[in-house]
Parts: sequence; C-alpha cells; structure tokens
Amino acid sequence: MMGKLGFVKILVIAAEAGRVTRKYPYEPPLVSSDFRGKIEIDETKCIGCGSCVLACPPNALVMSDEGEGYRVLKYFVGRCIFCWRCIDVCPVDAIKGTREFELATDNVEDLDEAVIHKRASCTECNGLYSTVKQKAYVMEKAPITENYVDKCPECRRNKLLRAFEKRRGGESLE
Amino acid sequence: MVNKQIIDNYRELALSLGASDFAHSGDTVYIVVDRERLRGLAEALYWKKNCYFRTCAATDETKINGFLALYHIFGDDRNGLNIVVKTYTEPNNPVIPSISDIVPAADWCELEAYDLVGVEFSGRKLYRFMLPPTWPKGLYPLRKDTPYNYRPGLPVSGERISESPVSAVVPVGPYHPALHEPEYFELYVEGEKVVDVKYRGFHVHRGIEKLAETRMTYQQINFLAERICGICGFEHSVCYAQTVEKAAKIDVPERALFIRSIVLEVERIHSHLLWIGVAAHLLGYDTGFMHSWRIRELVMYLAELLTGSRKTYGINLIGGVRKDINEEKKKKILETLELVEKDFKKLVDTMLGVPELVKRLKGTGILPREEARKLSVVGPVARGSGLDRDIRRDLPYAAYSYAEFKVPVYDDGDNLSRLLVRVDEVLGSISIIRQLLDQLPRGEIMAEDIEIPEGRIATSSVEAPRGENVHFIITGRGKPYRWRIRAPTYQNIPALKIMLEGENLADAPLTIASIDPCFSCTDRIYVIRGGNRYRMILPRRY
Repeated sequence: MMGKLGFVKILVIAAEAGRVTRKYPYEPPLVSSDFRGKIEIDETKCIGCGSCVLACPPNALVMSDEGEGYRVLKYFVGRCIFCWRCIDVCPVDAIKGTREFELATDNVEDLDEAVIHKRASCTECNGLYSTVKQKAYVMEKAPITENYVDKCPECRRNKLLRAFEKRRGGESLE
Repeated sequence: MVNKQIIDNYRELALSLGASDFAHSGDTVYIVVDRERLRGLAEALYWKKNCYFRTCAATDETKINGFLALYHIFGDDRNGLNIVVKTYTEPNNPVIPSISDIVPAADWCELEAYDLVGVEFSGRKLYRFMLPPTWPKGLYPLRKDTPYNYRPGLPVSGERISESPVSAVVPVGPYHPALHEPEYFELYVEGEKVVDVKYRGFHVHRGIEKLAETRMTYQQINFLAERICGICGFEHSVCYAQTVEKAAKIDVPERALFIRSIVLEVERIHSHLLWIGVAAHLLGYDTGFMHSWRIRELVMYLAELLTGSRKTYGINLIGGVRKDINEEKKKKILETLELVEKDFKKLVDTMLGVPELVKRLKGTGILPREEARKLSVVGPVARGSGLDRDIRRDLPYAAYSYAEFKVPVYDDGDNLSRLLVRVDEVLGSISIIRQLLDQLPRGEIMAEDIEIPEGRIATSSVEAPRGENVHFIITGRGKPYRWRIRAPTYQNIPALKIMLEGENLADAPLTIASIDPCFSCTDRIYVIRGGNRYRMILPRRY
C-alpha cells in the first residue's frame, strides 16, 4: 500500500486537519464545561468549622486564631491544586467552584483570600471557643439548649462532671 | 481465583527452603524467612519458579515489633500472584545478605534501602545512591525517629563531568534535552561508538513516601500519589487507592472500577501519543511530532471533560471515584475516539512510510530477551523484547477482566519494536474503552463506610503506559505506616546500559527516550546537589 513516496501523504493529513492553533487570549480559552478552577468562599454562609482545612491536601486552606477573638480561614491560590475536596466536605455549601484559571498576577497578595469569623465567648469563664456562626449552626441543627452551647467545651465538661457528682453524691474529683 | 495447587506448591517450596512462616490472602503469598535462608529462597523463586522481581521495601518496624524488616516482592505473573518475602533484622546491626547477584533486578532497591533506612547488605558493594554525597552518615530519612522536615545544611554544587584518559565523555543532562526532566547520563565514546554509560539520577527525589507517612491522611494521599508522575499520575493514584482498599478489604462499587479503567486507558492513549511525538522529534521528523500532539490534544480535552482537569485528574478516592460519566459524556468519548483512531492510523502509516525514520529505529538500542528477563524490565520495554507480561491481563485490577484485549509482543528488542508495541497499545486502549463503555454498570460510584484497620499489609500493581507501578502499604492510624512506590522507569533504566553499549552516539538520545523514561517518578526524595565525582550506578553486565 505504501509506495516509495507514501510519506508524502502527510500533506493530505495536514490539509485535512487545517489550522488547529487558536488565537488565545484574543479568543475564549478552550476549557470544557467540567473544568475545575479556582474556588470561591461565600463568607455569609461559611461557619468556620474547618472541615475544608482538614480535607485540603496541599494546605491551601488554613485556619488560625488571630487578634482579639477572631478566627480566620485563609485561602492561598498559589498552593491550590484545584481538586475541590473542600467543596465535597463543606457542610453548608459555602464553597463554590469556578472555571477561572487565569490567575497570574504581579502582586502576590492578589492570591490571598480570607474569611474572618468572630469567635464565641463562654458565658461562664469568658474564654473563647469555636465561632459565633458555628454555634448558631449547631443550635439550628441539633436539639440542644442555648445554656449548653453558650459554654466553652471545658466548662461544659466540668458542668457534666459536677452533675455526675451530684447524682452519685460523691466528693469532688479534684 | 488462584489455583489452590499453585499455592500448595509455593508452600512446599518455601517450607522446604526453611521459611518460618507462610500465609496466603487473595492474590498475595506472604513468606517470612531467616536471613541465612533468604538467598536460597530468592534463587528458587527467581530462577526455578521463573518469577519476576518487582521491588523491595525496607521498613522501620521498631515501633511495632522492634525490628527493621525487608520485604522482597516477587511476581508470578503467569499465575497472577504477588509473593512477598519478609526478612527481619535488628536495628543495631541491620545486616541482610544481598540477593543482587542472584536477582540483578534487586540492585537498585537494595541501594535505596541502604540509603534511606540504613539496612546493610552483605556480599555486595554498597555506596551512596539516592542521597547527596555530602549527606550526614547515619541519618536515615525513612527511619521513624527522623522528622520529615529535618534538613541538614548541605553545600550547594552542580554536577561534575567525569574525565577519562581512555575515551571521550559526552555528558547528557542534568536536564534531558528532549524530555525536560532532570537526569544525568555520561556516555563514554570511542569514535562514534558508545563504550560505557554512567547514570546519575535522583535529582528530584521529593520525599513523597516520608511526607505521606508523617503528615497526610489516607484520603489526601490520593492527590499526592497523583503527583508522583506528570504523565501517568492517575495510575499511581489508582494503585495507591486499590492497595489501601485491598489492605482494608473495602468493596468498591463496580461502576467506580469501570470509570477508573476508562480514565486509565484515556491516560495511556495520551501518554503514548506524547511519546510517539517525542520519538519523531528526536529523529528529526518534527512533522510527526506536531501531528501526534495535535491528535493528543483531542484526548487531553476528553480527559478534562471526564475528570475536570487535563492532567492530575483528582477523581480518585479510597472507596471509589468522585465523578460519574453520563450519557452525554459517553457520546462525546465515542465521537472523540473515532476521530483519534482514524487520524492515528493515518499518521502511523505515514510515519512508518518514511524510510529514514524506520532505518534509524530498526536494529538500534537492542535489548535481548535474556537480559530483559534478568533485569525484570516492565511495560513496552519488556514487551518489545519478547517478554509477554502485562498486569492488566495477568493480575486484573479495576474493570480489566471485563474487556478483551491482545497484549502486543515483539521479539526484536530494538527501538522499532518498542514503538510498535506502543502503537498497538493505543489501538488496544481505544477498543478497551469502547468495550467498557458498552458494559458500564449502573449504581453508586463511592463505597459507604470506609474503615481502615491498622497493621494490614498489601501490595498491588497497575500497568502504567511505561510499565507496572508497584505500591506496597502497611496501614497505620489515619495514614499509612509505610508506603513504598516503585515506578516503572526505576526498573527500566538499568537496561539502558545494555541498550546503549556498542551503539552509535547519534542513536543514544532516541534509545534513552525509547524506555519512555519518567525521571520524576523514579526519584522521590531530596534535591541532590553534590560536587563529588559519582560512581557508576548502573549494574554490571551479568
């Protein structure tokens, strides 16, 4: 089938294929409908529970307590691998995926995003715990009293221990 | 399932050679043997039973039982078995007899075990292999008491070119001119002929195993595993996931297995198209390169549509996959495959009609069958040298048992054979995807209730475009206790010495590329910067 000049057929192949390069960025980029790009965090929905931080493989999402009574969720696009695991695990659907990928910038601060949460303070010891929004979320989802949620985990534990002591009539454990 | 008779034969063999323990689970046979008896058992397995050698994994088990352990993993591909041979040694005097003279394929992994875990091998020459020459003595990165983020201050220096009074030295690297990855070859030439080869790799050893064992969680490691290799990453993530699933006995829904197989084959097509393009480029046939990559682009777009990303698909989790294939996508896959098949056949026809191209491929870079067997080479390199082995057929994983395909084998062992194997595999993959799409079962794509108990051992393999990946896992709490990865190129680079010796220098770049090397998979730890003269680390001719 292939004669001596068989390889000249490449000219036919080339003519059939035509020009395949695109005039990007003057044309829309060739990304499919399922492309995973940058994520967007809806700060009105986020409750600061930290699920996304635990799931994030490259630590693009981190959480830290800062200043007087604030908990900050930071997203650094520079580390993000666009796996969207955070979207899978978010309990309140606060994170949304986009198809955005043109993220180059000459200012590294453009790659940072943050959600600032006010931390809840304990009605008993005034210590800081969780976030105000997470507290509200727990009250909405679980049938427990405000009296219980308003205390920090430590005071809650102590209260429980005291309740046990009363019931058993024993002495203080301490 | 595996024949009971075969297992009994292995039991008899192991016990007659002094094994202290024998167990069998699924497709894996576990044998525990004393140090003194290891060499006898290895010889019987490798030469009498005709097993291939997969890799060895040294493990610091001091936290479990107070010993260091070495697992030699053999593969009886004909009977679909993995054979794991375990040997214990004391941490204060960790000596194990070397088997590299009996099993040449074990040369590299013994050196790796010596470098990273500090297991000494008696009866062979040991030298720095992976770690930089200036790395402190007695500091073993994979011992459990070495923190993952400890970085000894090392002097920075470049690769030094060796000098030889006898023959001229042609350095290739430390950055491959065509494959854009760091490796370093020194070719010793007399006139036009290559007379000797030295290889220095592991410039990009990134410490992936250590990272996974210390600070990641089971589900996060899927995404890390995918980043072992830039081209065949999904194979690694499937291999990791299925090894954990095997260890924890998790039932993965069938639909997920089918999706894994389909995406694996999509990856094989684009990887082979990439290689065929690069090979054409190295032969000076840039037209072929352009057209091969034009066709590949269709497959890349398909991969993005199926998974959400052109590369590093990120759809694998332990227990299943994250993205389903709907009818619309199914249609799109079939349409694309038809285009790709038509264009690819035309291109290959044309390429193989270029007389100069075929002349340079035929009879160059020959790897004889016996040498290939001695070194247990894998993938297209093995199949190009007449070794009939393919994990997809021999130890079926994912959904390969539902598809019918022919494993292409060519006997010449030259560059042309390896090219033809890959051409046949592209067409084979297209047919596999069509068959699997046709039978795609309904149902869930993710297993419920995933529980991974501690202290389980499993090993499994995946046939990547370059050959078999081997992953070995000991499960731990929340993360693997030990995770050993063997990439295909690790097994194939030692064969390059045999391919290159006696070759014309002009054919060297193509021959090096003909194993489709993936240096970043082979290397997995620290950036190596050392200025000393490096020793030869390719194996001797056996």
